[in-house]
Amino acid sequence: MSGIILSGRGVTKSFAGLTAIQNVDFEIPENAIFGLIGPNGAGKSTLFNLITGYYPLTAGEIRFKGEDISGLPTYKRNQAGIARAFQISKPFPALTVRENVAIGAMFGRPETHDAEATVEDALAIAGLGELADRTAEGLTMGALRKLEVARAFATRPSLLLADEPCAGLNPTETAEMVNCLRKVRDRGTTVWLVEHDMKAVTSICDRILVIDAGNKIAEGTPQEVVSDPKVVAAYLGEPLENTDN
Amino acid sequence: MKQGAALAAAAAVVIAALVLPMWIGPFYTRVLQLFFFSAALAVAWNILGGFSGYWSFGHTVFIGMGAFAAAHFVQQAGPFGSGPWAILVPVLFAGVLCGVFAAIIAYPILRLRGIYFAIAMLGVSQVVGELVNNVSWFQGGVGVFLPPPALDGMAPEDFFYYVFGGLLLLCVIIAMMVRKSRFGHALLSIREDEETAMMLGVATERYKIAAFVLSAMLVGVLGAVYAYSVGYFTTYTVFRLDFSLNMIVFCLIGGIGTLFGPIIGTAIMLFITQVLLSRFLDIHLLITGAMVVVIILLMPGGVIGALRAWRQSRATGKDREAEART
Repeated sequence: MSGIILSGRGVTKSFAGLTAIQNVDFEIPENAIFGLIGPNGAGKSTLFNLITGYYPLTAGEIRFKGEDISGLPTYKRNQAGIARAFQISKPFPALTVRENVAIGAMFGRPETHDAEATVEDALAIAGLGELADRTAEGLTMGALRKLEVARAFATRPSLLLADEPCAGLNPTETAEMVNCLRKVRDRGTTVWLVEHDMKAVTSICDRILVIDAGNKIAEGTPQEVVSDPKVVAAYLGEPLENTDN
Repeated sequence: MKQGAALAAAAAVVIAALVLPMWIGPFYTRVLQLFFFSAALAVAWNILGGFSGYWSFGHTVFIGMGAFAAAHFVQQAGPFGSGPWAILVPVLFAGVLCGVFAAIIAYPILRLRGIYFAIAMLGVSQVVGELVNNVSWFQGGVGVFLPPPALDGMAPEDFFYYVFGGLLLLCVIIAMMVRKSRFGHALLSIREDEETAMMLGVATERYKIAAFVLSAMLVGVLGAVYAYSVGYFTTYTVFRLDFSLNMIVFCLIGGIGTLFGPIIGTAIMLFITQVLLSRFLDIHLLITGAMVVVIILLMPGGVIGALRAWRQSRATGKDREAEART
């Protein structure tokens, strides 16, 4: 089974009777930028929480590089190669940008590597070089988003889950972030991206999965997805061409 | 260069500490002995509370356990060796026992976070203290003797001055090594955000337990030496809430989570309570309490935090001046 880095079968999560994710299947091709979209509350972040092990699965299984990871604790999933950039930035506030990224580089995947070079590399990819010695506390939203990605990338993942990395960013910053995610992918890290900015999603994603109310409603190339009537009804509201005018 | 200067300064402090007892007389030797003991406790507490953010409100349990462990070890097994070195094996035994106890309670208790962990540790110290007090085998109620070692003419206050001084140095070196290591960075990431730390591949559980055990062992060793220094003690001599609180307050005053904050905080507080207020025993707790409140309000990051903020504001001030000139 080459080519599929992460797959889910019948992935289900219920919280005390409320089903947040219902029987979702997915296959993430290696070295892709894969999109995940859906209305607020559709279960996008919950799905990421299941993949990283923050929540246990209610049913189904998740395979990473062919191996069932459903039983692994969060840190072991990261060491196996799954990293995550959080939707709500969670920097280590008292530490500098470089120290934040260094913790990713010191831990993460256990293979030996030059940690300092990894840190500088991650800072460069995210465009954080100039801010490296500032404490994370006072950073702007744009810099915090970059820090999330840089720190996750410093763990040397083969899959990066990016949870709304462009939320709250202006068009320039969004373009920078899209560029940064492309660079991450070009380094051989598959990116799975949750994003509301349809322009960003359709411009960089190879394929997109759409969920609504915990159910998978569509999957395909950006063109297929935006013209799918179910997606239009649940999420886009009206065909994208019209909103563009 | 900078490192060389720091090393030279450290060496000067150590040499000064070595010769000091000859000049200052027994009273100040005892004050300094108390300072070394208290500062070492604060440094040991800081490895867990300051680096990983798990504030223990019950670290006196390890002082008490270390003291009783050493006393019972000597009662059961007799002293190991003679002369000053006779304290070595019982003291090490006390440290190991505290480490084992910490490892056993770590798994359930370190799942608690924040104030819940703090209160749970307070509970642990109360429960263990009561057990030692009421189970007659421990002799906590009547008290136990731990005779000081034969010192061959050396005054006991000098001997304990050197032992506590050495232990403070040991604690500082260990804390420095921890802080610089991968282990120390794991603890910092746990303090800052435990969930995120896990997401970055940090085996948080393992590192928390390691910090807890290390901190407990150091405090256990200190408690055992303290027991030797007092010679006779009961439960209430060693299981003392004020020991637990002092470790926290000294760290807070100096700068929690920093390397030297705990030592600076201990120096300030002991200078105030032991030297300045020694003539006002009836109101000294009142003044100490009020001072703690004022210091915390004025310098929430402790002395080190205030110094850093001052240096930073001076640096940015200079930047602005330079900008204005261009």
